[in-house]
Amino acid sequence: MTPLLQVRNIKTYFHTQDGVVKAVDGVSYDVERGETIALVGESGCGKTVSALSILRLVAEPAGKIMSGEILFDKVDLLKLSDEEMRKMRGAKISIIFQEPLTSLNPVLTIGRQISEGLEFHKNMSVPEGMQEATRLLKLVGIPHPERRVYDYPHQFSGGMRQRAMIAIAIACQPQLIIADEPTTVVDVTIQAQLLELIKNITKEHNTSLILITHNLGIVARYAKRVFVMYAGNIVEYGSAMDVYHSPCHPYTAGLLASVPRLDEPRKTRLQPIEGQPPDLIAPPMGCSFQDRCGYCIGECQKETPHLSEVTPNHYAACCVSQKGSRQWQKSS
Amino acid sequence: MAIAIKSTKAFERPHHSLWGDAIVRLRRNYFAMIGLGFIVLLAIAAICAPLITHYGFADQHLTEILQGPSWKHWMGTDQLGRDTFARLLYGARTSLAVGIFTQFIVICIGLPVGASAGYMGGRVDNYIMRFVDIMYAFPDILLIILLRSVLGGSIYMLFLAIGLVGWVNIARLVRGQIMSLKSRDYISAAKAMGGMGRYITWRHLLPNSLGPIIVSVTFNVPRAIFTEAALSYIGIGVKPPTPSWGAMIQDGFNLIFSKPYMLLFPAIALALLMLAFTFLGDGLRDALDPKLRR
Repeated sequence: MTPLLQVRNIKTYFHTQDGVVKAVDGVSYDVERGETIALVGESGCGKTVSALSILRLVAEPAGKIMSGEILFDKVDLLKLSDEEMRKMRGAKISIIFQEPLTSLNPVLTIGRQISEGLEFHKNMSVPEGMQEATRLLKLVGIPHPERRVYDYPHQFSGGMRQRAMIAIAIACQPQLIIADEPTTVVDVTIQAQLLELIKNITKEHNTSLILITHNLGIVARYAKRVFVMYAGNIVEYGSAMDVYHSPCHPYTAGLLASVPRLDEPRKTRLQPIEGQPPDLIAPPMGCSFQDRCGYCIGECQKETPHLSEVTPNHYAACCVSQKGSRQWQKSS
Repeated sequence: MAIAIKSTKAFERPHHSLWGDAIVRLRRNYFAMIGLGFIVLLAIAAICAPLITHYGFADQHLTEILQGPSWKHWMGTDQLGRDTFARLLYGARTSLAVGIFTQFIVICIGLPVGASAGYMGGRVDNYIMRFVDIMYAFPDILLIILLRSVLGGSIYMLFLAIGLVGWVNIARLVRGQIMSLKSRDYISAAKAMGGMGRYITWRHLLPNSLGPIIVSVTFNVPRAIFTEAALSYIGIGVKPPTPSWGAMIQDGFNLIFSKPYMLLFPAIALALLMLAFTFLGDGLRDALDPKLRR
């Protein structure tokens, strides 16, 4: 069976006054039906832009998807007309945005905002939509949904707003949900609840999920496969287990080393990755991670490493690990 | 875990639309209600003017010219012996109509033009706004005089002329509001749910930009009344003897030192009307902000 979503070598560039920012530069990945994958990486590495590219919501006219294919159910989304694409959004693919505080319209009731998608795609009337919105609010765990459905966003707490965002995203029972750092702005206890909620909902409806995050802790628990992004490219991917236990790219190893762990002595210092990500307008020749990498060899500066299978079903774009050396695994 | 909800009736009853809520909030606002009350009262008085005073607006009492307030003439008479109170009541018809109808025309043109320029951006925006800039570059009064001569002298054409010149302000305001709002996250969210451009503009963008628009409109009502006054002064406004507050203020202004009450009464009336619109506008702006909902 073909995967639900096949992203093939997409390049999304932003044309700015200073030059062309290659925010996403040739990213490919697949998402199977019902599968949860994670896109991880630090801020500005292109995670969100690659997700917005799927929905064709990259801010125009500056941002543009230059090339590539996004096959959703064998249909290339990049070739659809605007109207056809509009019918996909919300109905087949939906997104949970990072900021529940600003992603809800302050002058519309929560109920109306949930029922919007149903009105667009399922031809529901407003009362029908409100009824469905109440059911959805109950489903995402809002107490007294029959009253809260008439509330405005500012009457909801941060966690509740994110629940409402989830309700909006699942309203039309899409086949794919993109969760763009859904738990960044809420506290740890709510994070766990929200992720369990998303997990249960996707499991129940066999929905695919792209989980975008920089929180490596949650990735291991919820995603089957992990894609690590750096400077607009995927630098490593494989099953969550493989990537965690034997990272094949020094960047992944660095990310893992900078996460606090309970099984280490308290006094141990976290190891940040030194330096800054490269300038995406004029990336350096060769490997994009070379300046921050402690294992750099001569080849890194000459040729751009491509993803290749390092161990079975575990791919990395690193000259060093492709030669068989993985010193960083000892240190982590 | 579907929850069976049998009837949709229960959801129709407590209908908290933006406007429904706004009215509830507006009714709690003391000053706004005073303002609205004054405007309504004045409108009723203007419509029922013949029932309130037995003087006609054009009746000349040549033995009683330029009198001060008395029991016979509550607000005195002007240089032609016309009762000021009667003229003030009849003049309210003209002035209220000028204030309100011109703003209606202004909104009908300015809102869609500004909203489409702001939402579409790019070339459409560029063309529309350059046209607006050209309109803006001419003095308003000059364009109105030009339109008056083209459209003819009836009072309806006066509304149209003032409206056709005034919409550029609202168009600019709306465009600015829409442009700043359209990059908000909730607009991306609405797009991500499959919202159409027009739907997003009307349902998401415009309600969020109503506050400044309403304030601008309420302040533009007295401005339109003044514009009419200025036009009457140069003889292309309302045709005499039809009274308007603006024309009365201009008449009174000529005799400001000898007969100050001739200026005083229409000026006070206009000031009170302005204040009433301002209170109402303020109240509306607050009422349309759901954050103040109690």
